[in-house]
Amino acid sequence: MAGNASRSAAAVWAILRKECRTEWRTRWGLNAALLFAVTTLTAVSFAVGRMPDRPDVLSALLWIVLLFGALSSLAHAFVREVEGHTLTLLRLVASPLEIATGKFLFNVVFLLVIEAVTVPLFLALMGAPPPRWGTFIAVLLLGTLGLAASGTLTGALISQTRGRGALFAAVSLPLLLPVLAAAVSGTRAQWSGLDPGAPLNLLAAYALGVVAIGVLLVDHLWEE
Amino acid sequence: MIARVFLLLWIAAALVAAFLWAPLVPVLGATTRVFYFHFPAALVTCLALGWSMVHSALYLRTRDLAHDDHAAASAELGLLFCVVATVSGSMWAKAMWGAYWNWDPRETSIFFLLLLYGAYLALRASLDEPVRRARLAAVYSCIAFVAVPFLVFVVPRLYFSLHPDPLLNTRGKPDMDWRIMACAGAMLIGLTATFFWMLSLRVRLGRVERRRERSKDAPAVPAGGKS
Amino acid sequence: MSATLRLEARGLGHRFAAGRGLDPVDFAVEGPGVTAVTGENGSGKSTLLRIVAGLLRATHGTERLEVDGRTLPASGRRDAIGLASPDLAFYEELSVGENLEFAGEARGLAAPARAAGEALTRVGLESRRDDRVAALSSGMRQRLRLAFAVLHRPRWLLLDEPGGHLDDSGRATLERIVREHARDGHVLLATNDEREWRLGGQRIALRGRGLGHPA
Repeated sequence: MAGNASRSAAAVWAILRKECRTEWRTRWGLNAALLFAVTTLTAVSFAVGRMPDRPDVLSALLWIVLLFGALSSLAHAFVREVEGHTLTLLRLVASPLEIATGKFLFNVVFLLVIEAVTVPLFLALMGAPPPRWGTFIAVLLLGTLGLAASGTLTGALISQTRGRGALFAAVSLPLLLPVLAAAVSGTRAQWSGLDPGAPLNLLAAYALGVVAIGVLLVDHLWEE
Repeated sequence: MIARVFLLLWIAAALVAAFLWAPLVPVLGATTRVFYFHFPAALVTCLALGWSMVHSALYLRTRDLAHDDHAAASAELGLLFCVVATVSGSMWAKAMWGAYWNWDPRETSIFFLLLLYGAYLALRASLDEPVRRARLAAVYSCIAFVAVPFLVFVVPRLYFSLHPDPLLNTRGKPDMDWRIMACAGAMLIGLTATFFWMLSLRVRLGRVERRRERSKDAPAVPAGGKS
Repeated sequence: MSATLRLEARGLGHRFAAGRGLDPVDFAVEGPGVTAVTGENGSGKSTLLRIVAGLLRATHGTERLEVDGRTLPASGRRDAIGLASPDLAFYEELSVGENLEFAGEARGLAAPARAAGEALTRVGLESRRDDRVAALSSGMRQRLRLAFAVLHRPRWLLLDEPGGHLDDSGRATLERIVREHARDGHVLLATNDEREWRLGGQRIALRGRGLGHPA
């Protein structure tokens, strides 16, 4: 059994590296996502200006910008696979769980890269007060896990349909709303001095729940 | 046939009783009457959601397309009842509190259910092939099952706390006159029966359609074959 | 006298939508060798191979694949089968070698780079190892598909229209690979090409309605 686990881990690692490598070679997905996030941020900043004294609005705006960035990029990993018709190859060399895990990890990395650019820009442009970094980063990380988990599953489904971006947004939105609400609440809490315990627990529970159901359903995702 | 007429009479009787016999709740005044539509519709939409999700899981386990028929049909009906619940609730909110929409916890929950139904049906609509459509829709339904407790119970409370305007929900749990509960109960039974009746029609329709599709495959249908 | 390789099907069929798919079929294939799967376009040859490969769950009937006496479930066949079909595409941004090494790593091969090198040599593509897949001709892509299928030395080789786009030397390579594999493995060859039929000892003829058959 240990041999199987380490072999699976190697497969997941291989898939993750392959995703990163193919993404890096073309970079159009990453560029598009970054551009989209920065454009959204610019629009928000231009329209609203600096808001140092409104932590509630700031939290909401931050997560809306991140949500849009996530929506634009999450479907990407799978759509690329389908449009390149490489899903057959992937399914022949790895198990559904390995594929889903590899894609999930890639989505986490992808989102973290986007956040690394967007979040500091946001804080600077919007004149946000200095965050309580521990809590702020915790909310960011847990929220990213939830977004990536939901987005990976939805992306796997949507890539097998005729629809693309708009359908992905519509179908994944109900699954992303809990993350949005809890993340906004948590981010606001750390700026307002409130206790972030409840939102953090929520984010963790939700991410865990989605990952768990994903593991249960993974064999049905691509099996035709 | 008799059952349908009976159902019609039952609902008619419940409505008549609700309007003529049951008293009004003092706080709500004439708007009490919305309760008889809103409350049963909301419960039936939850029933429909549960029915759809259970059959989605059953489909994945058995691969019997009949379960997919149930899942799809109850989702469509659930959307219908959800719209009824949302609109009636919104009208009630306007009459009671002066605004059509307030994002109070229950309004938020029902809206999320609307989004979920919409997403599920949009996903189904994007797929032509029956087996793939059944599989992907069922998978989505099971994922949504995890999201529902968060959407319906947790998130609305969270949002409510973000907007601490005291929009007190007087619909809470006042002591309702037994006559009101009786009529509401009767309407609930009536609407539930309507749901199951419409469901059975849609499921039968789906079954007949599949049989027709399959008969298109048969290379040589004997003369005077199935109609 | 139990064969170490066995594939049997009972009423095996698949229905995509009205009039499309694989009509139910029965067969049993045993032991090392080559079996040709023939039928008109649209009769379901590719569908049958996908079912055997474990990529598709058939809507009708049953099938069983055995290797060394063990029955393999659909989800556990990746190591035992190698599939090369026209719809098999590679990552265009990666090189030929990188594609095969990725496949080897994901499959858990002990030495993916070496296995990739050997597979490429077998199909005559070793000189193109560092070229991007996007730069390959259709004939070379077909050879790459063959290399992918034999990379992990599977017991069952499933080849769908393997002669497509191949020049004469490619065909010779294909025949060589088929014969090598048929020594202690089994090759299922789905084809309309007579040259490929002849490689097969047995034949499974699919009777489908084919394209353009009056509904």
